[in-house]
Amino acid sequence: APSIVHAQAPIKWRMQTYAGAALGEQVTKPAVDYINAAANGEMEIELFYADQIVPTGELFQAMQRGTIDMVHSDDDSMASPTPLQQFGGYFPFATKHILDVPVLFNQYGLADIWKEEYAKVGVEWLSAAGQDPCNFNTTKEIKSVADLDGLKLYTFPTAGRFLSKFGVVPVNIPYEDAEVAVQTGELDGMAWSGITEDYTVGWADVTDYFLTNNISGAWIGSFFVNQQQWADLPDHLKQLVMAGIEAGHTYRNQWYWGGEARLRAQGDKLKLSTVPADEWAEVENAAKDFWTEIAEEGEVHAKIVQIFRDYNDVINKAGPPYTNG
Amino acid sequence: MSYEMIATLMFSSMMLMLLTGQRVFGAIGFIAVVSALLLWGDKGGYDIGFAAAMKLMKWYPLLTLPMFIFMGYVLSESRIADDLYKMFHVWMGGVRGGLAIGTIGLMVLISAMNGLSVAGMAIGSTIALPELLKRGYDKRMVTGVIQAGSSLGILVPPSVVLVLYAMIARQPVGQLWLAGVIPGLMMAAMFIAYIVIRCRMNPELGPILSAEDRDIPRAEKLRLLRAGILPLVIFAVMMVPFVRGWTSLVESSAIGAGAAFLAAVLKGRMTREVFENSVRNTLGITCMFMWIILAALAFGAVFDGLGAVKAIESLFTEKMNLSPWMILIMMQLSFIIMGTFLDDTAMLVIVAPLYVPLVGALGFDLIWYGILYTITTQIAYMTPPFGYNLFLMRAMAPPEITLRDIYASITPFVLVMVLALILVMVFPQIATWLPDYIYDK
Amino acid sequence: MKFMRGYIRGIDAMNRRIGRIMMYGIFVLMGVLLWSTVSKAFFVPSLWTLEMAQFVMVGYYILGGPYSIQLGSNVRMDLLYGDWSLRRKAWFDLFTVFFLIFYLCVLLYGAVSSTAYSLGYWGTEPFSFFGGLVTGTEEIGHMEKSSSAWRPYLWPIKVVMIVGIFLMLLQCLSELLKDVLRLKGEAI
Ligand code: NA
Ligand code: NA
Repeated sequence: APSIVHAQAPIKWRMQTYAGAALGEQVTKPAVDYINAAANGEMEIELFYADQIVPTGELFQAMQRGTIDMVHSDDDSMASPTPLQQFGGYFPFATKHILDVPVLFNQYGLADIWKEEYAKVGVEWLSAAGQDPCNFNTTKEIKSVADLDGLKLYTFPTAGRFLSKFGVVPVNIPYEDAEVAVQTGELDGMAWSGITEDYTVGWADVTDYFLTNNISGAWIGSFFVNQQQWADLPDHLKQLVMAGIEAGHTYRNQWYWGGEARLRAQGDKLKLSTVPADEWAEVENAAKDFWTEIAEEGEVHAKIVQIFRDYNDVINKAGPPYTNG
Repeated sequence: MSYEMIATLMFSSMMLMLLTGQRVFGAIGFIAVVSALLLWGDKGGYDIGFAAAMKLMKWYPLLTLPMFIFMGYVLSESRIADDLYKMFHVWMGGVRGGLAIGTIGLMVLISAMNGLSVAGMAIGSTIALPELLKRGYDKRMVTGVIQAGSSLGILVPPSVVLVLYAMIARQPVGQLWLAGVIPGLMMAAMFIAYIVIRCRMNPELGPILSAEDRDIPRAEKLRLLRAGILPLVIFAVMMVPFVRGWTSLVESSAIGAGAAFLAAVLKGRMTREVFENSVRNTLGITCMFMWIILAALAFGAVFDGLGAVKAIESLFTEKMNLSPWMILIMMQLSFIIMGTFLDDTAMLVIVAPLYVPLVGALGFDLIWYGILYTITTQIAYMTPPFGYNLFLMRAMAPPEITLRDIYASITPFVLVMVLALILVMVFPQIATWLPDYIYDK
Repeated sequence: MKFMRGYIRGIDAMNRRIGRIMMYGIFVLMGVLLWSTVSKAFFVPSLWTLEMAQFVMVGYYILGGPYSIQLGSNVRMDLLYGDWSLRRKAWFDLFTVFFLIFYLCVLLYGAVSSTAYSLGYWGTEPFSFFGGLVTGTEEIGHMEKSSSAWRPYLWPIKVVMIVGIFLMLLQCLSELLKDVLRLKGEAI
């Protein structure tokens, strides 16, 4: 009888997401809510937001130890101790659209690489999905590539490393501090998200301009679990967790896809600007050199960069809509 | 052990430990790590304490702390505020209680240069206090004036307390600082009104300066007005680049500290002793603050891990079914009670993450609430047993001022502050008008 | 007794000296922040200033901590404590300092384990990892870097924290011994 199941203490997991409360509500909480509701009391995931229990830089270590059982983040900002670190978040110009990410993972082999590399460091990688593109929202208007010079931007480590080639000064601070940092003058803006996130977390309130050009079409983020916790979880609950994550992916795909269009068209807090495509090509070309640079850093790096190249060949041949960034 | 049990134990044992004269950071830290071990066991229970150190390292606004502290010590130790004091002394001496009124004026100017109350306390007790006592002012009135006046340092911009609040409440620092201007001036005016009324009732509390003291040539009087230039200059070199967006807040605090140091050197006041005292005391006070915050961050993480925030939210709104205003008033009362025996930074780090989201959820303006919080903190600074201004006053006051005097001195000023708090609660425009006007909301 | 006096004298002198050096860190911090201002105004803004300032601040308050204990800067709550006799204070301190020492030990353990992580050790026995480094049975793995564009290694600042927390521990033991001597009726 079901009452026997209920009599058992539920499995309790603590999860921390990279996102603050306002954004986490959309990008992480739907998956958690699904799992908690469907688990029918057998399992409960308690969700914490950016830096709440441990700072994002310590997130990975905390998950290895079991301070945190589950994590939603990208490899880059949680300083993953794997060769994958630079490829999560926004690897410059690796993707064009949100659906490119599951395709790269499930059809082009990234999922196997991720699973394998994280197993080596004692963490179970579960699933990756795409999110929004990496546009710019700033206090000063960007009309040309030259305007990037000297801008202090909150951005991902690898994106920052790439953008510093154009004079951007990347600033690394806790996620939840970014909004105030614009006002304390520590930042001129962000190269961190699309326009949906700008409006959701309040960045649109402290910056004035939105550059429609991006340096990557979709953020790559993953769900991870402590290896032991995953091993101890009964099979039917493993299925349930995966189903919940997939449900979250589906919700997120729509939320971003609809939000990017609506807020560009109807949002009244950010003035849009665009650098002409032939000028922005300078940035895209610089990314090609950057890819080569990164590919030389190791075997796994080379393998992943090759996958990006292969996929980009395919979509370039396919033409629009795949090529419209 | 149930989570509620751990949470209750955490608070009660911390209070108990604090009563036995533990160093504050030791008490908070011990409770934090023991609760982490109860909660997580060997699965990361050992790591929470240190994770807080990494979090603290990334908390960049705290870089302003040593800068403002150093600036405060340089301004007071080097006595470059002496002339400023003389200016108020000469111009206000003819009025009953005039020197006390002048001291409030002095405190407002110092508040505009510094983000903490330390500077005002140090300057007030080294320069103003001996002078006031010498002129026959009532010692209780005088110690109260200095403690209350210096607490304006955290309400009048720049303010470190409001920066910390901004970080926790995710509210714009610029608007918070502007919101503090009018309440700060209003409170100063209320202090002055209190002094005027008290001195009219009991003239012996604040005697008029003797004729020879007041016999100063007009040219000299005008010359002394120039003393007001220095604080304006320091305020300007610090705030103008910040407001114009040329420098960040942290950089501006370094400019302010550098400017105060330079001014002391140029005026020939930077003796070996002044240098030694400023540098050493800055280390001492900064370490005290940082170690407390370090422990408090670990405490906060465990508290979060217990889900205590959600529990308190549902307790207030669902179980007790209170109206938003009732909750707000209860929060302020609990803040004032906690403030009597807790350090304000610990209070902010531990309690604000609990209260601030709730205040927002109840539909209140978080800028306005920041000002309410800051006034509560000012009260906390002065109320026994635990208050920075109390400690500083005890350390700096001459021996004829007893502990009893210090405790007695604050009562009327705390009442004035509570009145100011009520005024800002009832008329939120006092706080919100200026930022709304400037930012054209 | 002689040992206690020697320990107190030795540790206090060492921590005092270190604290006296760290005390000037305020000028280093000011210098870094002013350079950040100047470079922004006249040259290209620097990548490293904010993070460097954070490192300096950590060194300043962690290594300066023991000296601040000597200076008596650490606030105590003294609702009851303040009115007690010296002897009674010493008795209570004798016990309460163990709470502080326990906290510092946990902090130290966390620092050592985090430093081991920053040198590429994923296990749960950080002390044996460092032992293994000395004997050659363990080796350094993936070195943790800060996730900024400057990307400094993180182990140096973590080592600074280990040292500082350890010195703080030594200082608290010195305070403990002082209370023991006080209770024996000796002058400190
Ligand atoms: Na101020
Ligand atoms: Na108090």
